[in-house]
Amino acid sequence: MNTAFQRLQRDRRGELLAAWQQHLAATFDRHHPHPPSLDVQREVLFDALLNTLTSGAPEDDFRLDPETDLARHLNRLIAEQARQLANPSDTIGALLALKQLVARALIDTNPQTPVIEDLLWLDRVFDGLSLFAFKSFVDIRERLIAEQSLSLLELSTPVLRVWSQVLLLPLVGVIDTQRARQITERLLEAIALHEARVTILDLTGVPVLDTSVAQHLMKTIDAARLLGSRVVMTGISPEGAQTLTKLGIRFADVISRATLRAGLAEALLLIDRRIAPIDEARPS
Amino acid sequence: MRIPILQLDRILLVSIQVDLTDNDAMQFQSDLVERVAAIEALGVAIDITALDVVDSYMARVINDTANMVRLLGAEVVICGIQPFVALTLIEMGRGLLGADCAFNLGQALEMLKGRIAKRGDTRFVGDEDV
Repeated sequence: MNTAFQRLQRDRRGELLAAWQQHLAATFDRHHPHPPSLDVQREVLFDALLNTLTSGAPEDDFRLDPETDLARHLNRLIAEQARQLANPSDTIGALLALKQLVARALIDTNPQTPVIEDLLWLDRVFDGLSLFAFKSFVDIRERLIAEQSLSLLELSTPVLRVWSQVLLLPLVGVIDTQRARQITERLLEAIALHEARVTILDLTGVPVLDTSVAQHLMKTIDAARLLGSRVVMTGISPEGAQTLTKLGIRFADVISRATLRAGLAEALLLIDRRIAPIDEARPS
Repeated sequence: MRIPILQLDRILLVSIQVDLTDNDAMQFQSDLVERVAAIEALGVAIDITALDVVDSYMARVINDTANMVRLLGAEVVICGIQPFVALTLIEMGRGLLGADCAFNLGQALEMLKGRIAKRGDTRFVGDEDV
């Protein structure tokens, strides 16, 4: 039990909380939306923190157990702020501001007795809290990023059926090994499903064509050919063509066209179809 | 020295008349591919009538250029290889020039036109730019 903090909690709880809320309103909350639930959350956190401070002896070591109330409240508050894409320094800054307030109050309420041990204890608690807060902030952000890149992966490799037996695979963005494998898998499934005779591979959205990308492409093309689908490549940039050739990469038996439009025409020819004006097609 | 690139509808004509240095070759290749991409060329004829000697480097430059152009979706024909040049190329190794060859520019153009006529994108009606 810690008497100095007990006295503080008994006499000056309301005053401290008000001061903290006021400080936050003046700094952090000015730039961010401020839902009313936030005040309640902060108050709960504040009480949990004071309880922790009073329950420990000044010479105790402090380590924040993630199962405690304090850790849970802190986590919830941080999760909210991380999701609002707040600056991590604001979150930690709010904690450190509270530390200043408590330290000042501690010195004021005990004018005669030395409070150095108590201050050190306070310091240790807040250090532990800050570390914990920082870690969980980063964890939450990283989870967010992982989720987003996963959804990006899902988004960016559609296999489109543009005509019966003609598939279009528009490649957009950087192609790494993982994506390349996924692209190949998806494409082969689609070829088998639709019995595609022609596959158009559109590279307009691929910024860099280098050895690894070219190798992945070759594998995809070879696999498609094994299933019996002709491959038409479209949209290679002049720079891309130069790089591929200088790297000594030969796409044998692959039809290459400048634009998707030309590639589509080629694909239609390969399946003996053509697009005709409406008048011509209409039975007279 | 920059090699002029002539345009005949959507066919490009280039004539290499001197031995190219490394820099010339790179310049020539990038000029040509930029041009092919810019006009969405359907065919390219590379004329080397004026070359009396084609070493392995020149052969590679020509071959590479043909491959680049093909990747950009145009047909390529090389024309005007001198008998003596053909002999040395064969002696240096077959397949040094992978692209199709024609006797002279006229035949090259005919060959290009024939191949272009068979392509899907030129047989499309109603898709012409206005």
